[in-house]
Amino acid sequence: MKSSTTNHLALSTQAISKYFYQPRTFQVLKEISFDVQKGEFLSLIGKSGSGKSTLLYVLSTMDTSYEGKLAINGQTLTGKSQNELAAFRNEHIGFVFQFHYLLPEFTAIDNVMLPALKLGKKTKAEIKKKALENLEILGIAEQATKPASQLSGGQQQRVAIARALINDPAVIMGDEPTGNLDSKNTKIVFDIFRQLAREHGQTIIAVTHDDDFAANCDRIIELSDGRLL
Amino acid sequence: MIRKTNLKIVFAHLTSRVKQTMVAILSVTFGISMYIFLNSFMNGVNGTQTELAFSTLAHIRVYNDLPEDRSNLLAGSFDQPTAINIRNARVIQYREGIRNSAKVLHTLAALPQIKAYTPQVNINVFFRNGASQVNGLLSGVEVVSEETLFKPSQYMAKGQWNDLGYRADGIVLGKGLAKKLSVKLHDKVMVATASGITRSYEIIGIIETTLANVDNAKAFIKIGAARQLLSKNAGYVTDIQVNIGDFDQARKVADKLRPLVDFKVEPWQEANGQLDAANSLRNILAVAVSFTILLVAGFGIYNIMNMTVNEKIREIAILKAMGFNGRDIIEIFLTQSVIIGMLGGVVGMALGNVISRIVNQIPFQIATLETLPIAYQAEDYIMASVFGLCTTFIAGYLPARKAANIDPVEIIRG
Repeated sequence: MKSSTTNHLALSTQAISKYFYQPRTFQVLKEISFDVQKGEFLSLIGKSGSGKSTLLYVLSTMDTSYEGKLAINGQTLTGKSQNELAAFRNEHIGFVFQFHYLLPEFTAIDNVMLPALKLGKKTKAEIKKKALENLEILGIAEQATKPASQLSGGQQQRVAIARALINDPAVIMGDEPTGNLDSKNTKIVFDIFRQLAREHGQTIIAVTHDDDFAANCDRIIELSDGRLL
Repeated sequence: MIRKTNLKIVFAHLTSRVKQTMVAILSVTFGISMYIFLNSFMNGVNGTQTELAFSTLAHIRVYNDLPEDRSNLLAGSFDQPTAINIRNARVIQYREGIRNSAKVLHTLAALPQIKAYTPQVNINVFFRNGASQVNGLLSGVEVVSEETLFKPSQYMAKGQWNDLGYRADGIVLGKGLAKKLSVKLHDKVMVATASGITRSYEIIGIIETTLANVDNAKAFIKIGAARQLLSKNAGYVTDIQVNIGDFDQARKVADKLRPLVDFKVEPWQEANGQLDAANSLRNILAVAVSFTILLVAGFGIYNIMNMTVNEKIREIAILKAMGFNGRDIIEIFLTQSVIIGMLGGVVGMALGNVISRIVNQIPFQIATLETLPIAYQAEDYIMASVFGLCTTFIAGYLPARKAANIDPVEIIRG
């Protein structure tokens, strides 16, 4: 019974706790356990300081100083080395940040191709084709050969999403992915997420402040003082 | 093996801030070119100095030294309690010079390290022209072998060196000595030995080596004429001057020669400690200065790579988030500094060569020099590239390691 449900899980946490030690010991996450189904579009909300961003970075595998257990795509990630985690992130997790963090010297398509080139499982031609498809889905194919630094904020965020999708990750994680965008671009980005989850079965976990954004998700997880509500 | 993807990032970094990259390359160029120039110059100076010194100095000198301290001649002949009293002990040198030189010369000819040798009969004499009288050294030489060792023909101000071989009554005077005696070419000069023999010679040449102790106090005659002056037999010589392939090996060869020859064997370093010391000191100075310059160039790269890492810190964080590991990041930044180092190194070597050539044209007319001396040695260029690469490697590694240790969460969360 349990094993059959595990197969549908994109992500699961068991009793994750985390402490900050500076300036004095403070428990920021308190025994958080939840599962995310494959294809779920989930938002993490909570007041400032509730620990939602901290939780996201624990889920992202970049922050490893926590207690409890984390598994993504059925793989337990707790206790793995930094290099193993880096390789895992490369293949299974896509990131979209508040600030797009593209490499400004690279063109849009080069930015999108970068994680796939790093993974090295496909030929360069295949990667390029996939990158163009992704840009097409996001409606910015015509910007492909422009340097990233010459794109508008909304366009850059869409390039970042295309980059997050390039390796067909198990989960896309967004840290306030629309936090820096105007309402028009926010709607575009949200619609893209919505479409990815619904039509492509893409699992998405996004931290957000935006109530409208959250309200339209499949599921909302709210944090308060480091606990799930 | 450096991954293509990383290499692409490297080139993006290098080309995005061309000015900064150029400054880094220039700092290496400067360091390497100065290293090359200083070492070439120092080697040139050392070479000239050595050449000048060895124009009168042989690598090894074989001669009959005064006997050892014999103030107590009876030591060992009697048992301890015996009182011995010797007054006014005098050294009587039974054997002056090397009486039968053929045997020694034969031994020298058999040693493969020895390239050339020449026997000499050196006598302290008075040169006289009328009332003027100058104390000096008369050197009886074998004209041909003297030429192979010291090339005196190069320094002849007047007359021909080879003429000395044909004239038993001919003499070649140092320029200063001739001036002191107020004589000129084809004049006669009187030579008086310590034992009171006086002979007259015709001046067939004036030599100018720019070394004061030679020009002001030395004269050359044919070796046979010198023997005749001393009434010695045909095998008699006072000194045998020996040249070997590499003058730095003089001590070694002298050690080998000592058991084979009954006379004193003296490598040039023993008689001319100051030359040896000056050479070593100049080398130390050149190494110290060039290392300092390379260090400064290294700091230049370190500084710029550090700036790049600080500037790109968010990109590094995002690369790490996307799955680039610490090794990739080190690879990216280290490759960057090694490329800077190699470009700077190649340009620096070319520039160093150009600077050396320009300096080599600067007039410097002292002694036998006409321009400042420069030695073009492949070793200097090899050492420059080795040290240059090491410096850039270390200077690049430290910022690269710092970049690899960045915690992406800290940077992305702000």
